[in-house]
Amino acid sequence: MSLVLEVNKKQKGKDSWEEPFYLNMGPQHPSTHGVLRLFLELEGETIVNCDPIIGYLHRGIEKLAENLNYNQTIVLSDRLDYISSAANNVAFALAFEKLFKLEVPRRAKLIRTIVSEMARICSHLLWLATHALDIGAMTVFLYCFRDREWLLNIYERICGARLTHTYVRVGGVRRDFEPEVIEELYRFVEEFPKRITDYETLIDTNRIWLKRTKNIAVVSAEEAFNLGLTGPCLRGSGVSYDVRKFRPYDAYSEVEFEVPVGQNGDTYDRYKVRMIELRQSNWIIKQCLDKLSETEGELVLAENSPDLLMPEKVREVSAQPHPKLGVMFKPKEKEIVPVGEAFASIESPKGELSVYVVSDGSSRPWRLRIRTPSFVHISAIPHMTKGHMIADLVAIIGTLDIVLGDSDR
Amino acid sequence: MKSLFEKLFLIEILKGLALTVKKLLFEKPVTIECYDKVIPQPYPGFRGRHALVRSELTQGPICVACHRCERVCPSRCIYIKTVEIEEEGKRKRQLAEYAIDASRCVYCGYCVEVCPVNALVLTEFYQYVGENREDLYFDQERLLKNWDEFIAKAERPYFNPFWKPKGIPEGFFSIVKRKAKGV
Repeated sequence: MSLVLEVNKKQKGKDSWEEPFYLNMGPQHPSTHGVLRLFLELEGETIVNCDPIIGYLHRGIEKLAENLNYNQTIVLSDRLDYISSAANNVAFALAFEKLFKLEVPRRAKLIRTIVSEMARICSHLLWLATHALDIGAMTVFLYCFRDREWLLNIYERICGARLTHTYVRVGGVRRDFEPEVIEELYRFVEEFPKRITDYETLIDTNRIWLKRTKNIAVVSAEEAFNLGLTGPCLRGSGVSYDVRKFRPYDAYSEVEFEVPVGQNGDTYDRYKVRMIELRQSNWIIKQCLDKLSETEGELVLAENSPDLLMPEKVREVSAQPHPKLGVMFKPKEKEIVPVGEAFASIESPKGELSVYVVSDGSSRPWRLRIRTPSFVHISAIPHMTKGHMIADLVAIIGTLDIVLGDSDR
Repeated sequence: MKSLFEKLFLIEILKGLALTVKKLLFEKPVTIECYDKVIPQPYPGFRGRHALVRSELTQGPICVACHRCERVCPSRCIYIKTVEIEEEGKRKRQLAEYAIDASRCVYCGYCVEVCPVNALVLTEFYQYVGENREDLYFDQERLLKNWDEFIAKAERPYFNPFWKPKGIPEGFFSIVKRKAKGV
């Protein structure tokens, strides 16, 4: 409603020929990658102002988590960024383990690293597919989905689900890898670099691709910092920041990998960074698989980790002094988890995903706060679109790699 | 000079075309003729339609009405009703009604994992639809029927991977689960 009033105010007292042109894009527009609504102020075909409106996919995940216990909360995390749910599971589990002061077995750490890197490949493949489709390359879309299907089949063997995995649990993972899964993963790791070369042959030097991506949405390193960009969008601007390197979690301190950075900070650089990341993820999976054979037969869940079913309340009878009776026995609520707060952040495929949890001693989080990359990236759209054409807007939404389930929560 | 040559003869576009033509002529198609010739089979452990294991002794469910699945369910879609009966001078709790609302279920498989007697299973059957809400509200008879439909085609003895996941410490399972061999 306020938007309409604003438009009316701007149009008042102006002749019809000098009125700005307003256009509503979304929320059902196919290239907004979900239910993002953009309110555009145009001058000809140039964007003067852009106002992103979110909230069409709000499910209240943070509030829902307050009525579920810690392991049940991980089920909700699948629905944040539904393309890379394994990475979200890891973020939640890391925060809860910090709160519980749990030590995760090494095999579970390696498995978590593998699944979260698989999630990165899945997410980047879907990003490349839809980004290329938006810009006009159909073949890349089909090739990427073919390879993503392979990974989803591996996920299905690992945990029995293709998209909403719920694979990680507090203290480890839910199920060990079967030997066939490791064989299949080795086959994938061998084959995948050839597939990346195929995508690059198709679009890397293609003149249409270059014209649509070079010098579009240029963000300098300082601007990227100020806008709060993280992940490949920040690295495309030339800032070498990666949570996996700076605050290593799981098994990332054991493996070798490079952090790719771009130079110009345009759409093409961000594309390049993600393509190199695909290769690096592939390499990380290979190293982890080699290390997995060292820990054959070990447990994948810490012995003192909480059960899936946590009691709501535990009462303990304690003796208290009483003036008349001498001593009185009174039931008192006991702490199930330590009182306190914990924070964990991971490098999810889209950027930095952080989870902050406050516990009051009961089996349910008192408050859960999630910082998701897509939400911050959407707030950068007005800055990045200024002065560009409408057709470039599609490329800009694509290059930020936003998922609306992630931003609206 | 090279750049002019590339510009004139569309080298990079020809390279891309060569790749797609090569894939078209010399590689097998990736797509499958679904439902006409090949029906995609999920891998063991796929979390699909719910079923209650039918006991061979009583021809009913082996559920002991402990309410663990009801309490662990994140979407709270399991409804259990119990009755208290007296048998040989002892008061016993017995299952009266077991129902799952499949339209609310998120298929996390927690219920299968916490069940102490392996009475519940998420089968590998995934092709099911409902024309109205009642079709997706599985009551006890429907859940047992689901099991019959599933086990007729499955390999015996059947053991769901989530009944006793590999690599989890023994202390997390009840004695029945530790000794379970499959049905």
